[in-house]
Amino acid sequence: MEALRGVNLKVESGDFLAILGPSGSGKSTMLNLIGALDKPTAGTLLIDGVDVSTLSDNQLSDLRRRVGFVFQFFNLIPRFTARDNVELSLSIAGVSKAERKKRAEELLETVGLKDRINHKPAELSGGQQQRVAIARALANNPRFLLMDEPTGNIDSRTAREIMRLVKRLNVEKGVTIIMVTHDQHLAREAKRMVQMFDGVITSDVANGEPA
Amino acid sequence: MRARDVFGYSFSAIKLRKLRAGLTTLGVVIGIAAIVALLSITQGLQNTITMQLETGLATDTLVVSPGRSVFSQGGAGIGGGFGGSDSGFKLLLNDTATINGLSPEIEGSVAVIQRAVYFNNSERSFVINVLGVDFAEYEAIYGGNTFVAESGTINLNPLNDEIVIGNTLHNPWENGTLLYNVGETVEIIWTNATARPPKNETYTGQITAVLKEIGGFSFGGPSDTGVYIPISQAQSFFDTDECSQIIVKLTNSDQATIDNVSELITDAFNGEVSVISSTAVLNIIGSVFSVIQLFLVGIAAISLLVAGIGIMNIMIVSLIERTREIGILKALGIKSRTVLMIFLGESVIIGLIGALLGAGLGWVLANVVSVVLSGEGLFSGIAGGQTASVGAAGFDIVPVLTPTVLLGALGFGIGVSVIFALYPAWRASKLKPVEALRYE
Repeated sequence: MEALRGVNLKVESGDFLAILGPSGSGKSTMLNLIGALDKPTAGTLLIDGVDVSTLSDNQLSDLRRRVGFVFQFFNLIPRFTARDNVELSLSIAGVSKAERKKRAEELLETVGLKDRINHKPAELSGGQQQRVAIARALANNPRFLLMDEPTGNIDSRTAREIMRLVKRLNVEKGVTIIMVTHDQHLAREAKRMVQMFDGVITSDVANGEPA
Repeated sequence: MRARDVFGYSFSAIKLRKLRAGLTTLGVVIGIAAIVALLSITQGLQNTITMQLETGLATDTLVVSPGRSVFSQGGAGIGGGFGGSDSGFKLLLNDTATINGLSPEIEGSVAVIQRAVYFNNSERSFVINVLGVDFAEYEAIYGGNTFVAESGTINLNPLNDEIVIGNTLHNPWENGTLLYNVGETVEIIWTNATARPPKNETYTGQITAVLKEIGGFSFGGPSDTGVYIPISQAQSFFDTDECSQIIVKLTNSDQATIDNVSELITDAFNGEVSVISSTAVLNIIGSVFSVIQLFLVGIAAISLLVAGIGIMNIMIVSLIERTREIGILKALGIKSRTVLMIFLGESVIIGLIGALLGAGLGWVLANVVSVVLSGEGLFSGIAGGQTASVGAAGFDIVPVLTPTVLLGALGFGIGVSVIFALYPAWRASKLKPVEALRYE
């Protein structure tokens, strides 16, 4: 079964892109492909001009390290504290212990969790867990922040807070963001909206313009 | 990912499941403990026996007996004399002269006439091996070591009726009851079976010395159960010029000397004699022990194998439980090799802790068992015999744990853990990120 067919998407640095579509439209698959979590079964996927299907396992890992992933279900390691979860990402990149600690604290401060550094995921609310996940995703200064339904598991009030954070990261820190959602309201927060249906892009508009 | 961080990550995963990891470790502990305990006990036992043997067997002596060696072709034969072919060859008393002239590496030799006799005093009668030897020559070979008087004196130029007895004949039970004493007269009765009709020859001798306790096996040399009479007396009493064996003393105990002289002697008698060295006997005992050790360790290794399967089982369970976690790690850009290392790291930790605890436990176990065995005098029952005897008090086993054994056991424990973790670790490393993340 083909999840994506002839999709062509160009993302500029500093962009904030929302991919919108019903479930099964192929938007998550596209995100996984961009994040090098998945390989296309057919066709080619070029990342930085390199065909992903020709990359070795190790090269794919390197590619993933340059991408920050945020999931609907947070995907934090339950036995680790907030700081350890953020540090894990740095530790995988081979950052030294001292620097990891400093950087993790900075990141948690950025996402507004300075006072929750030593809490484990079970001791944090959904919104707080997602902030930890965002901090983790940002740890290695990724070229993209890929967010798969980041507020899908959070109440709407907290979701708005998360979106404010995400927008701030985009505007203030210049982080390039690609967000998958099926929520029209959230999508409108982005700079650009891409509509998908049945594996093809049906519309691609800058926000503020008529769809 | 840095090695230290990989290890730390492995450790954090183990800490999460303490009971499970503990039980898995217990399997390794038991396996390693069994191996270490068995090895150190058998090593201790071997040392004890070898030590006892070395007391009785001077390593720089050879025993020449009539009869072709069954197993060996010249050299330091093993098993010769235990069943040579009967060619009618006789080893004579004056063959010592032939032997002495063979090599400068031969310091001297002494002929032994050995016969089973009745050894009687007014109260008791025993069948015992009497050895006729030249006291002076015998003393020259064994004097510093085993042919030493505990009471009385060994007269190096003895009268014909003088007798020296081994310690067991004097004090066999070490409970105050003594059998034969210095100064006592004894009747020695020998049945001359070649006379027609067969008749009993008798002479009366006097005990002039009791040997110090040798407490070991004897092979050619003095033993606790031996009775020694002057060679001239043996020669005339048994009416023979034939000797049972000739003991050859070498200038050194190098294997080359032993081999060389053994061959010279065998050739000098045209292969009609067998030459046995104490070293050869020690070697054969050593190899017997190696086989026993190998067998016991093999059994213990099976328990370690079971522990290994336990590790594999637990790692597979852990892998399934942590599929999602592996997916997260992969999404964060971890290399497959690092995932492999994390899982192997967990098994190395389990193996290392298990092996260390196991080695400690095994050592304690070995000591407890040794104390029980030695204390109960379990081995004291193996006493008596004609040329071999073990001291009636039994002997102490001191368990021996060599660094090689210790390192080997540790390495084996860790090795088994790693080998059985390879498959689960490999499977973990091969998980596809998207599928792993989707796993509930």
